[in-house]
Amino acid sequence: MSATAYLIGVSAPCAAAVLGATLPVGRRLLGAALLSAVGCLAALAGAGEVLLSGHPFALHSAEVLPLTGVDVSLDPLGALFVAITAIVGLAVSCYSIGYGAYSNAGRTTTAVLPAFLATLLLVPAASSVATFMAAWELMALTSLLALLGDHRRRSETRDAAQWYAAMTHIGAAAILFGLVLLAARSGGQSFAAIAAHRRELSMPLRSGVFVLALVGFASKAGAVPLHVWLPRAHPEAPSPVSALMSGAMVNLGVYGILRVGEVLLGGGELWWWLLVAALGVTSAFFGALHAAAGTDLKRLLAYSTVDNVGLVLLGVGAAGALQSDGDRVLAGLALLAALFHLANHALFKSGLFLAAGAVQHSTGTRDLDRLGGLARKMPVTAVLFGIGALSISAVPGSNGFASEWLLFEGLLQGFASHSAATQAALLAGVAALAITGGLTATAFVKAIGVGFLGQPRSEEAREANDAAPSMLAGMGILAVACVALGVVPGVALPTFERVAADGLAGGAPHALRPGIGIDLAAARGAIDPALVVAGLLAVFLLAGIAVRFAPRPAQLRHPRRGEVWGCGRELQTARMEITATSFAEPLQRVFADVLRPDRDLEVTHADESRYFAEAISFHQCVDDALERLAYLPVIAAVVSWGRLARRVPNGSVHRYLAFGFAAVLVVLVVLG
Amino acid sequence: MRPGAELDLVGLAGGVVLAGAVLTLWRKDLRALISLLSLQGVALATLAAVLAVHGDDVSLGVVAGVVLVTKGIVIPGLLTRVVRSDPGSRETSPLVNVPASLVAAAVLVVVAYVVSGRFSALFPDAFTRLAPLGLATILVGFFVLVTRRKAVSQIVGLLLVDNGIALVAFLLTAGFPLLVELGASLDLLLVVVVLQVLTTTIRARFGHVDLDQLRELHD
Repeated sequence: MSATAYLIGVSAPCAAAVLGATLPVGRRLLGAALLSAVGCLAALAGAGEVLLSGHPFALHSAEVLPLTGVDVSLDPLGALFVAITAIVGLAVSCYSIGYGAYSNAGRTTTAVLPAFLATLLLVPAASSVATFMAAWELMALTSLLALLGDHRRRSETRDAAQWYAAMTHIGAAAILFGLVLLAARSGGQSFAAIAAHRRELSMPLRSGVFVLALVGFASKAGAVPLHVWLPRAHPEAPSPVSALMSGAMVNLGVYGILRVGEVLLGGGELWWWLLVAALGVTSAFFGALHAAAGTDLKRLLAYSTVDNVGLVLLGVGAAGALQSDGDRVLAGLALLAALFHLANHALFKSGLFLAAGAVQHSTGTRDLDRLGGLARKMPVTAVLFGIGALSISAVPGSNGFASEWLLFEGLLQGFASHSAATQAALLAGVAALAITGGLTATAFVKAIGVGFLGQPRSEEAREANDAAPSMLAGMGILAVACVALGVVPGVALPTFERVAADGLAGGAPHALRPGIGIDLAAARGAIDPALVVAGLLAVFLLAGIAVRFAPRPAQLRHPRRGEVWGCGRELQTARMEITATSFAEPLQRVFADVLRPDRDLEVTHADESRYFAEAISFHQCVDDALERLAYLPVIAAVVSWGRLARRVPNGSVHRYLAFGFAAVLVVLVVLG
Repeated sequence: MRPGAELDLVGLAGGVVLAGAVLTLWRKDLRALISLLSLQGVALATLAAVLAVHGDDVSLGVVAGVVLVTKGIVIPGLLTRVVRSDPGSRETSPLVNVPASLVAAAVLVVVAYVVSGRFSALFPDAFTRLAPLGLATILVGFFVLVTRRKAVSQIVGLLLVDNGIALVAFLLTAGFPLLVELGASLDLLLVVVVLQVLTTTIRARFGHVDLDQLRELHD
């Protein structure tokens, strides 16, 4: 039953891709979107059954791939990722109806989006090296095409696609090398065979495989320092694709680390997981800082993805480290927190990307300094963006709060752990979690305050309109899911706990007490977000009633009306308001060593006197310092090597033939 | 026919093929090159016919006929038409001069003998010991491709390589299957026709067919 549902779930988006490529213009958007939505529901049903019953299924088909065949099996760990992808995919399919109509989506764009979705659903279910690599590469290919979309002629998009293609190729090569090495030494390429033979492998070999896989999967997850493609690709991709990339694709990087590190290699050594946690801490801090400093709405969201992936990796690393120290309860708790945060991030971040897409389509810009006042022009989008922003800022009562609370609990209680290295890592983790919490809140106060409140800063923002109903519905699905998981997290947590036990090599004991809140029986800690929300609502309600019915002082009986957010001034223009750049300025000053902003202040003096300025222009560019310091020199070296190599083929046919001749002779002599 | 005579005939034909390849390096007149090619074709056909009689193989006999027609008659005929349209053209200044080429050919033959021990060891019989002849022809053909400037010489080099491959195939496995040989011959014919047209066009456009001067096509 679950197998059938899952197979329908994967094949329906494939069929949707065919429909998107063949149907006439008027119908293809709707046809492809509806069919992929059906596929997502089916996949969700299949994955849900595996999650609830805990019974995996396995399928083998010898026909699809030559030589090795295709092995598909869904265990609870894979099913969780399928389920998350399916929910995000459902919302994105819904959204793409309206978005495609706005943006005049071409045939390729319409067809590639469902194909990308199908590969995303396939990867977590692949259960042999060949199947996994095939699905992984298909995912890379379709996501690249989806990223290029209808904007392939824009130089920024092409640039982003090149970065993405290069990083994803390096990553895939590392994964392929690691997994093939593993398969060759374990005497079988199915994951079950590898897991069964792992004890026969030497520890250096296992460590080598893990590091290779970590490089590959971390580049897909967007962990610093392999994140460079992410802040380029996510903003440039069409918004449904950004949502899928950020809400589903980066998750699969985390999935890969768990699958290889825990399930296939059995946990390994402590330093593996400290490395993962270190990646996580760096990514969280770096991503949150750039999100807080940025002014491009989608770029801000992309850096915030780096930040949240960092938090998830921190949880995964902490879980592995605690497990190596022998503390299974807390290891299970940390992994539960990581997986729960990953699911929550998928929900709110894809919602935010979709809302950002609606804003971009309505105004034609993503630059926060040119937006403003959208709350009145696009009320529904503003509310949905607000729910996402509250969730990502971990305001009590939101799903982000629930998972970050769990993560804090896991890290803080782990201090009782035995090894000093783990303690140090957990301490760094708590610090990172605290500082990123603050930075993320800053970033989203900026996004909401500058983008949605205040007065419009440009003509485009003044003439914005709310998004189409299908787009709002897509965002609505995600917002409802966010609120539900935030208010009653206890409903979903047992499922996550089962998955966490399944994901840790050797399992983890039961730690949660059932209920609608979070009650950590085994680790002393409980919180009930529903009560918090009820309390908050009661306070607001009482305050509202008090304001409404309280006797008013005399001067308030005849209020003077002014502009909203006008601070009571008579004449308030958009130029008097704080901009995103100025909002982030103090932060940039504090973290100038990390951010290294590039500033340019030009003052033109009046002819008559040097004391009067005629015009002042200020330009600022906060690019990725890591990219400038670590990647550009490497790229420059590769390019100059390429220039050098271009001198070798000079156009002479004889020289080319001589190369071939020399090659034949060398091969003959070496083999003969 | 006594068994030894068959072996001698095959050895002679193979020797003629290799000698033709080496002589290609020596002669500068393009017509002479084509005659050498034709001679090679006839030798290959003879070799195939002897092997067909030796193995009582009818299809190999058909292959011998096909080889005779394509490599002995049709292809040299086509090339003669190319040369006739530009009388007096010679391979005047090869990239490696003639004496050096002959020394190189000697080295290549030695290399072929040294490295083909492996092949011969696969099916140790009297005919396979002649396989180095074919390998040497391939290498010499390749050498012609690398060092000769005229377009016709290039075609000749390509055909030498092909003849060498055919020779190795006949000696190691008693020939390709009929179908493969037919396909290969047809392909070869097509290649020669295309090259003939190309050569004529190049000459019409640039006034010469010195491939070393056509460098502007690279990116």
